[in-house]
Amino acid sequence: MSGSSGEATPNRHARHGSSGRAPVVRRATRGPLDIKDPLSNNPQLRGAPSPLNPPHSSLLSPALHTPNARSPRILSPGRSPGRSPGRSPGGPGQSQYPLTPTTRDFSHLLRPELYHPLSHLDIAPPFRTSQHQPDSSTPLPDLLKSGYFRSAAIAAAAQLTSTTNQISSEDHATIFSLFYTRLSCLTLCGNTQLAAQEVLALEDLNSAYYRSDLDGKHLVPWELRVLAVRLQGMGFNDARRGVMGYYDLGREARSTLSKAKAKLRSTEADEEKAGLTKEIQIWEDRLADLGMRVASALVEMEDLEGAAAFMKTLPATEPGMHMKKALLWLALGDIDAARACIRSAEGEEKDEKEEVIRALAFMAEGEYQEAVTIWEELIARPVSAGAASERAMQRQNLAVSLLYLGGMDEARKHLEVLVDEDNSFHALTFNLSTIYELCTERSRVLKMALAEKIAEREGSARSNQGWEKVNLDFKL
Amino acid sequence: MAHQRNVSTLEGVKEKHSVSLKVLRLSRPSLSTQHPLPTPLPSPTGTYASPAASLAYPSTDSHENFILSPLLTLPPAFGSAYVGETFSCTLCANNELLPSPSTSTKTISNVRIEAEMKIPSSATPIVLELGPSSALHDPDEAGAEGAKEKDGHELDAGKSLQKVVSFDLKEEGSHVLAVTVTYSETTPTSGRVRTFRKLYQFVCKGCMVVRTKTGVLPSSPKLPNQENEIRKWALEAQLENCGEETITLDTVILETNEGFKSTGLNWDLVPRGEEIERPILNPGDVQQVCFMVEEIQRGPEPEDGRLIFGVLSIGWRGPMGNRGYLSTGSLGTRLR
Repeated sequence: MSGSSGEATPNRHARHGSSGRAPVVRRATRGPLDIKDPLSNNPQLRGAPSPLNPPHSSLLSPALHTPNARSPRILSPGRSPGRSPGRSPGGPGQSQYPLTPTTRDFSHLLRPELYHPLSHLDIAPPFRTSQHQPDSSTPLPDLLKSGYFRSAAIAAAAQLTSTTNQISSEDHATIFSLFYTRLSCLTLCGNTQLAAQEVLALEDLNSAYYRSDLDGKHLVPWELRVLAVRLQGMGFNDARRGVMGYYDLGREARSTLSKAKAKLRSTEADEEKAGLTKEIQIWEDRLADLGMRVASALVEMEDLEGAAAFMKTLPATEPGMHMKKALLWLALGDIDAARACIRSAEGEEKDEKEEVIRALAFMAEGEYQEAVTIWEELIARPVSAGAASERAMQRQNLAVSLLYLGGMDEARKHLEVLVDEDNSFHALTFNLSTIYELCTERSRVLKMALAEKIAEREGSARSNQGWEKVNLDFKL
Repeated sequence: MAHQRNVSTLEGVKEKHSVSLKVLRLSRPSLSTQHPLPTPLPSPTGTYASPAASLAYPSTDSHENFILSPLLTLPPAFGSAYVGETFSCTLCANNELLPSPSTSTKTISNVRIEAEMKIPSSATPIVLELGPSSALHDPDEAGAEGAKEKDGHELDAGKSLQKVVSFDLKEEGSHVLAVTVTYSETTPTSGRVRTFRKLYQFVCKGCMVVRTKTGVLPSSPKLPNQENEIRKWALEAQLENCGEETITLDTVILETNEGFKSTGLNWDLVPRGEEIERPILNPGDVQQVCFMVEEIQRGPEPEDGRLIFGVLSIGWRGPMGNRGYLSTGSLGTRLR
């Protein structure tokens, strides 16, 4: 050690990357409309200048209130997305503007050059040529229901850019619903990076341009705003932006919540009360969800320490919170802290989720045999409603434990049974493909056969796990 | 593996082997990650993807909104190897003959795997013990265990023999895992013993850098029944995580030689009833620790003008509990 002990602090040295410690400067929002798109130099080309560029970004800008010359379209206030069914119409009281309905031009989201073509190359071959490939005329809701997420992403973009069945550039409800479908399906079919590029077209969602003139409500549905936070963080290659974006949304959720609660206290009408109670529940759920998303964002940027510190600030009463904390401790390697999250006392009927943590803790210690015992006990329990997928997880973890003990044949059998039971989640196909690679030089044959088997899937197995699998899922 | 050298001895490349060798480093399995999609409020017109589709496995738990799931994924790559960790690896000898008897009349028996680790400081490789000694949950095989181990294993077409080796990494530098597979190949007319050897090279890096400093503390006043006053020192150490993974410090103990006792002044010193918060070290982070070292009664003799207190043992856990452990050389103070 150097002689400069005076400088050495008892704690560790400061580090960047944690939320809330170092002041973080928000970067100016830049989008493809400003930089990457050649068309942006020529706004006349499609009559679609970026509506979010500075001259227009203020609510006070008169340009916003000029009725669009082409096709003014009256939206009823009830069309505001994100509105809960029971909510009373928002009071226009706070608006100092005349009661003009909100018209906004979102034609920049309808431009074909915004949407990337999807490559076929990453799809596992049996899915590329399958007779199960959906017909191009299949309606979007059916594609979503059947787990054809890649086709749904393509269909959503096709609808947004259709010239035969053109969407009005002011029909924000339709545009944002399709845009959400596009982005969410891109993330589901392994094209998150493309989604992170396409989301940049939304630019700054905090801009007043996205607010209704009538009641200040956001025009973009909540789910798209939440999804956009992570994707924009990736698109701008700035994960901290994601964390800040969730905080922005959290602030809004809190303020909406406190307003609704104040209103509930002052109202007398039963019907309105019921509506408000429902609304409060929705926003409380959203706020809790944002908390987990902040923690997840910190984990994703590999700041597990920051995530652990943050999660200590979340209310422990939230369902499943101690399990989530335990998983984070395990990822960090603090096995004792993970075990401390298990609450049930000795002798009590053992909670299934806590048993999962116990088994994982043994695996973290390298005590695979102990873990096998717990996994086997869990699998032998009767399957209650909704627990079938938990059994699948436990059985696949049993298979992993067995492999570490030299029980590869048995591990393979367990995983193959899971595939036969209509499971096709990534870890399962990935782990089974890993075992195939271990047990023969001709693993490609086995992996292709596995992919072919899953390509033949129908029904719910598709809808809740996605149908089209990529090469990475099978290590092809 | 990071780097594989394929050296076929004896038979060279003359004839394709009927048995293949496949290896996988058994680092800890990881928790599968997921990015749960925010789902729209239910509405009669809206359709959206099933919320389960964005989860690591199709859980029906509506509170699944965290990035980590309990579902385990096998290690996708070799990763980094660090001093202090236990290197663990599975070796699979596979009978690659096609199961149909019409094309091949060969049979494979007597399959044996041997593994050695070549380390930087020694020219002689270290023979590794292969576990487990018998297949799991198979009482038949477990019974005849002893004899079978010596003679090697019967291996039907398409079957595999799996073994697991472990090795404590103690040195930085290039390591070579050498695996030899020996088997008997029998046809109706002849039989022969065949063998091949594969080498897997990887580099082991340091993960924990330790810097220490000793300072003299004021001695305790002499008690009436003591001959000398009791000398005291403060031993400080900086522990730097110079690996690429986040680690959690588990134990840091000054193991004292006879004649000394040490008191840790670190994170495990918490008031009764409070949780111990173990320090988390991200790559590049430094944790400072401090120990008070005291003489017990009569001071031990110095060697070459140095008093040796003992050694520092450091234990940590990496991602998913991967354990690391090392102890320093002798630490002490120079007497003036």
